[in-house]
Amino acid sequence: MSVLYDMYSPALFGVVLQIVKEEETAEDVLQEAFVKIWNSFQSYDDSKGRLFTWMINVCRNLAIDKIRSKQYRVSQKTKEIPASPRAIYGSGSFKPEHIGIREITEKLNPEQKQIIDLMYFEGLTQSEIAEEFNIPLGTVKTRARSAIKTLGKLFKGRE
Amino acid sequence: MNNEDYITSGILELYAAGALTDEERREVEQTASHSPEIRAALLEACAVMEQYASHYAVQPRPALKNRVMDQIQAQTANTAEEEQPVRPLYPVNEREGSPYKWMFAASIALFLLSGFMSIRFYQNWQSAEARLQQALASEQTLARNYQTASYRLDQQEQILQVMRNPAYRTVRMQGVEAHPEANVLVYWNAQEQKVFVDAVQLPTPPAGKQYQLWALLDDKPIDAGLISMENGNATAPMQPMKNIAAAQAFAVTLEPAGGSVNPTLEQLYVMGEVSS
Repeated sequence: MSVLYDMYSPALFGVVLQIVKEEETAEDVLQEAFVKIWNSFQSYDDSKGRLFTWMINVCRNLAIDKIRSKQYRVSQKTKEIPASPRAIYGSGSFKPEHIGIREITEKLNPEQKQIIDLMYFEGLTQSEIAEEFNIPLGTVKTRARSAIKTLGKLFKGRE
Repeated sequence: MNNEDYITSGILELYAAGALTDEERREVEQTASHSPEIRAALLEACAVMEQYASHYAVQPRPALKNRVMDQIQAQTANTAEEEQPVRPLYPVNEREGSPYKWMFAASIALFLLSGFMSIRFYQNWQSAEARLQQALASEQTLARNYQTASYRLDQQEQILQVMRNPAYRTVRMQGVEAHPEANVLVYWNAQEQKVFVDAVQLPTPPAGKQYQLWALLDDKPIDAGLISMENGNATAPMQPMKNIAAAQAFAVTLEPAGGSVNPTLEQLYVMGEVSS
């Protein structure tokens, strides 16, 4: 578990931080997530998907539950000051072999990036996005697909 | 909808980006499990999202790790304490750790087994060794017994030869006045000049003293050798002595160990004449 933590905690913490936007809460969520990962290793099934994806999803679900809970909303209202700058920019320098966030944002068009982030970091479903932004469901799908295609090419080209 | 259409529909990407409801997710997983092609595309989309997520990586405070590990440890301890009813909730723990647990258990079992086997083999070896020692000892005893027996047989044969041989003359030496209980037999073969003493009945010689046999010829004593004795008995029933060509009588005196050139007549024990 210690190895698992060392390997994945930065990435998972980054994701959680993107969702909850607050370091203290992110730590709580990450802790909760690791305990859950530890306890429900069995519900992870190798045939269903990748381990890392599964772990990210555990974190994402917990983090999204957190921001949706009433308690969190209330506490967010009382604290209007944005969380530490780390929460907003992430650390592009953490893995120097990777492309920085800025570069990604340049390659992805804003619509693509927005749709991915809404899904991934806000936890909105396709239909929620379609409703909220008043775009057809089909368009949501196509944008998501093209965004991921673009990202895939970007990563592949660099590795 | 064929695979191609399904892949290009964008649903896999929605899955990867987490924009599907639980029900929709299950559907995608179901479909992917039936088609390697879809599965590959799904995994690829997920991998891309993993990489995307990794770009936001932030190292958490080191203290968080301790917190997490502590909680997991505490929980593991709790799970271990709670008995059967709780266990089915986390069968995961057993499964996840099982290869190592099995290997660990197997290695302990092997270790115990080898320990047990080596103790057994050691014990077997010890008992085999002990039995071998016994066998060797009894074999030695047997060999010794055989030697003794064959030696005695030789002696008996020698005695028999001497007694059967008419050339031997028997001289009974009687105790003198001072030692009436003393008594020794001499067998003498004048032709071969051989002399044996037998049936030695003499008192135990004091330390540093030995009995010496003399042949008397014309009142002159001739040294016929020492009688070797042990614990008051002759060491052998038929003791060969020095060769004597002619004698009229035999006598035994007590002399200092190693013998004397002339007999100490005061210490005369037995004496007997050769009957002609």
